[in-house]
Amino acid sequence: MDASDPIEGHDPTDLLAEVLAAAGDGFVELRYHKKRTRGVAVEKGRVDSASISEHTGVGVRVLEAGTWGFASTDRVEAGAIARAIDLARRAARSSAPGRNERVGALPPVGLARGRFEAPGVGETLARSIEEALELVLTLERRARSASSEVASSTCGYREIFEEKGIVTSDGAKAWTRLVRPEFHVGAVAARDGEIQRGREAVGSTGGWECLFRNASPEELAEKAVKRAVDLLAAGYPTGGRRRVLLSPSLVGLLTHEAVGHTVEADFVRAGSCAAGKLGQRVASELVTLCDSGASEFYEGAGGRLDVDDEGVPAGRTVIVRDGILESYLHDRESAARSGVAPTGNARAWEYDDEPLIRMRNTWIEPGGTSLEEMIAGVADGLLLDGAANGQADSNGEFMFGTREAYPIVDGKLGPLQRGVNISGTAFDVLATVDKVGSVFRWDLGSGHCGKGQPAKVDAGGPWLSCEVLVGGEQS
Amino acid sequence: MSGAGTGTGISTGPRTERALFDAAAECAALSARCRALCERAAAAGADEAEVFGLRSESIAVGFEKDDMKLAQVDDGSTLGLRVFRDGRLGFASTNQAGEAALAAAARDALALAAINPPDPANRLPAASPVPAGPALVRPDTAAVTVERAVEIGRELVGRAKRADARLAIDKGTVRVGRSTRALANTAGADCAESDAAVSLSLFGMAVDGGDVGGFHYCGDVVRDLGRLEPALAQVVHEFVEVSLGNLAARAAESYRGPVLFAPDAFVEALVSPLIAAASAIAVQRGRSALAGRVGEAVADPALSIVDDPGDPTLAGATGFDREGQPARRFELVAQGVLAGYLYNSYAAHVDGVASSGHAAGGARSVPGLGPHALCVGVGTGGDLERMLAALGRGLYVQRFSGTVDPASGDFSGVAKSARWVEGGAIVGSVRETLLSGNAFELLRRLVVLSSAAQRRGGSLRAPHALIDGVSVTAG
Repeated sequence: MDASDPIEGHDPTDLLAEVLAAAGDGFVELRYHKKRTRGVAVEKGRVDSASISEHTGVGVRVLEAGTWGFASTDRVEAGAIARAIDLARRAARSSAPGRNERVGALPPVGLARGRFEAPGVGETLARSIEEALELVLTLERRARSASSEVASSTCGYREIFEEKGIVTSDGAKAWTRLVRPEFHVGAVAARDGEIQRGREAVGSTGGWECLFRNASPEELAEKAVKRAVDLLAAGYPTGGRRRVLLSPSLVGLLTHEAVGHTVEADFVRAGSCAAGKLGQRVASELVTLCDSGASEFYEGAGGRLDVDDEGVPAGRTVIVRDGILESYLHDRESAARSGVAPTGNARAWEYDDEPLIRMRNTWIEPGGTSLEEMIAGVADGLLLDGAANGQADSNGEFMFGTREAYPIVDGKLGPLQRGVNISGTAFDVLATVDKVGSVFRWDLGSGHCGKGQPAKVDAGGPWLSCEVLVGGEQS
Repeated sequence: MSGAGTGTGISTGPRTERALFDAAAECAALSARCRALCERAAAAGADEAEVFGLRSESIAVGFEKDDMKLAQVDDGSTLGLRVFRDGRLGFASTNQAGEAALAAAARDALALAAINPPDPANRLPAASPVPAGPALVRPDTAAVTVERAVEIGRELVGRAKRADARLAIDKGTVRVGRSTRALANTAGADCAESDAAVSLSLFGMAVDGGDVGGFHYCGDVVRDLGRLEPALAQVVHEFVEVSLGNLAARAAESYRGPVLFAPDAFVEALVSPLIAAASAIAVQRGRSALAGRVGEAVADPALSIVDDPGDPTLAGATGFDREGQPARRFELVAQGVLAGYLYNSYAAHVDGVASSGHAAGGARSVPGLGPHALCVGVGTGGDLERMLAALGRGLYVQRFSGTVDPASGDFSGVAKSARWVEGGAIVGSVRETLLSGNAFELLRRLVVLSSAAQRRGGSLRAPHALIDGVSVTAG
């Protein structure tokens, strides 16, 4: 394929369609995927990384002899793609004797055709890497000089530009383009041998306006420094089962970790705690929980996806409506097995990865309570903010880290305490939701979900009041 | 082996042809590509240039819900180019082999070097002779075919399923990788090595009616097919034992006191912050609790840690690091005393010392810093039975899922696959149990290490550890 102007792009689908036309019978899915990553990272005034990376190729998936075969090539030319089709078919045929339940032909579904471009591609790609470097150097310097107790600071910017062409033998022919910028700033504060960190990170699908919609880079730097310094003198919360108010970023983690993974159809089939619960009450009636490829509420959600990696339009799925489990997340095969339409959740990280069932943007719908009212309603509890990592388990048990905690006693906020990990069982915790905030926010766009492959996702919601197990000190 | 069913054993001979893997030819070809890109960058204006190349051919067969899902074959390579110009860093990588892509990589790296601030530590290390590394390629391992991989996978999944009908395999994977890595730079480094290995993994849980146990993941990597059968048996045995043991989980008790950590949990919660803090870059940047502590006791005298890249039974075995420096056995902690820091060439230049050969990473990013093949020394605690007896009453945690802050050493997270112990014996599985503490403090409260170490996931070796003073919060 000819080199092309990245801003204008080059439609790869005609080449793929030509190869596919000569590929003979049987289901074949061709996915061209170009990924170009630009990034800079600075710590304590030193540029640790300044890089431009390109990873491009074609992934081929076939359904042959009742099973799946996959092959990939980094050569984007007709001959190499045709050879990859042959390799994928041979892999499928070779492995077919190992398959007990043969996969039948996939039922016809509405597949995407045409060009799909997320907002911000032109704006972001037009920015020079010098601009990103200048921003990162300036903000790192600003964070480092903001307090005499800051021992070190970091700042980084990265953008992933992706161009895909998806062509299938049953009708998909889509060309998609998007860009996902990320920015982070962190500070390490030290006092009398004590070391604490503060970190703020944002990520979006779109331009820099989306990226810095909720806070400017300067505000993010100030917040990171303040958190690191304030945590030096902070104590630990007492562990135990507590009433907590979760910030939108933590609600995002809750929706993603506690519920989202358990409703991925492959995990459901293996026996996750959501299996067999469709139509049943799994949460307080205040909870409506969705997953969508669109950036609902406002532009910029980090997991935006117009078309999934099987060529299915990435629409909106209501997973829990008013507390009742309504749908799982599907790819084409799992949807066919369940007799429902695919939900557009098949995603592959790079061209040489097979599509897996993954979330996109997952959220809890806002309610009608202000944060002030929520705080006033707590007699003994914690306000938690700042998302760290998280993980879900097959039994619905989840955990995720928080960066800061504030005790609430008789409706009043106390001083900052150190963040802790919280845990619970997904549907048990959702059943304890008694108040849902009124202001929605996407707040997980800088994160990646891991499931064998990474995936860019976003999640969010309003402030939420529920009961969880809080890790902390024991006397 | 108990509880893992009756295995039929797996054959060791290849069944069908796979193109022969000529390691010497692979090394020569990749080295030539590295040298050519190096010369191109030098000709384009780089003062110094370094190219790290990685070529990988793999076969992967995946099982889902106890059945064959997909067979995948991939073949690709990536070159990562680092340049210095007037002490300024630039980096670019590409997986495209064409002339235009290589020219673009050189242009991108130099363009980045033109805008970055200078740093006197930005220079290549002097070339050091790389002694012959560990033997990493066995012809029979490199010749494993798709059919053979399917056979191994069926045995892996089948044995687990035959062991107990309550087991659900969410994912089972067999991957046969043969790879070559090469490095060339303008300072005279020119080295390459090939590797061939089979990796196995199982991910799933036990389901007994409405009781869904927590998931368990385990795996191994073998280069010697003679070790495949015992590795497979061990993976199945562990998966069966732990997954079934996760059923019927009950609430634990909150306390502060001794906890028995299995090797994975010990390394994740307690050893990993120590390794991160022993990075010379962390020390230089003011985010290490071990700054200025070389020669001092940083843990109980029972703790010793070495990095042993010469051990071919560990996945990280290698003859040279990411910068072409010899990878040697390195003593990090000896009888509780910090013996030294881990250095790559950048950190070494800052401190005016020699690199310890710990540049790490792949071809798509600038060299980082980290150990190759971690080995934690054993103690005098005897086998697991004696370690449980030493715990007496309390928590035995096999996996830690949580947040670890390498700067402060604070950790907080969920005890997974955890068991409650009474009278020195396991009495049941526990759920919703959180651990927290500070790794640097708790490593001084090491009670005893077991007398044998386990190879974990093929990548490290560590014993069980009984640690006092851990906060346990139960739901």
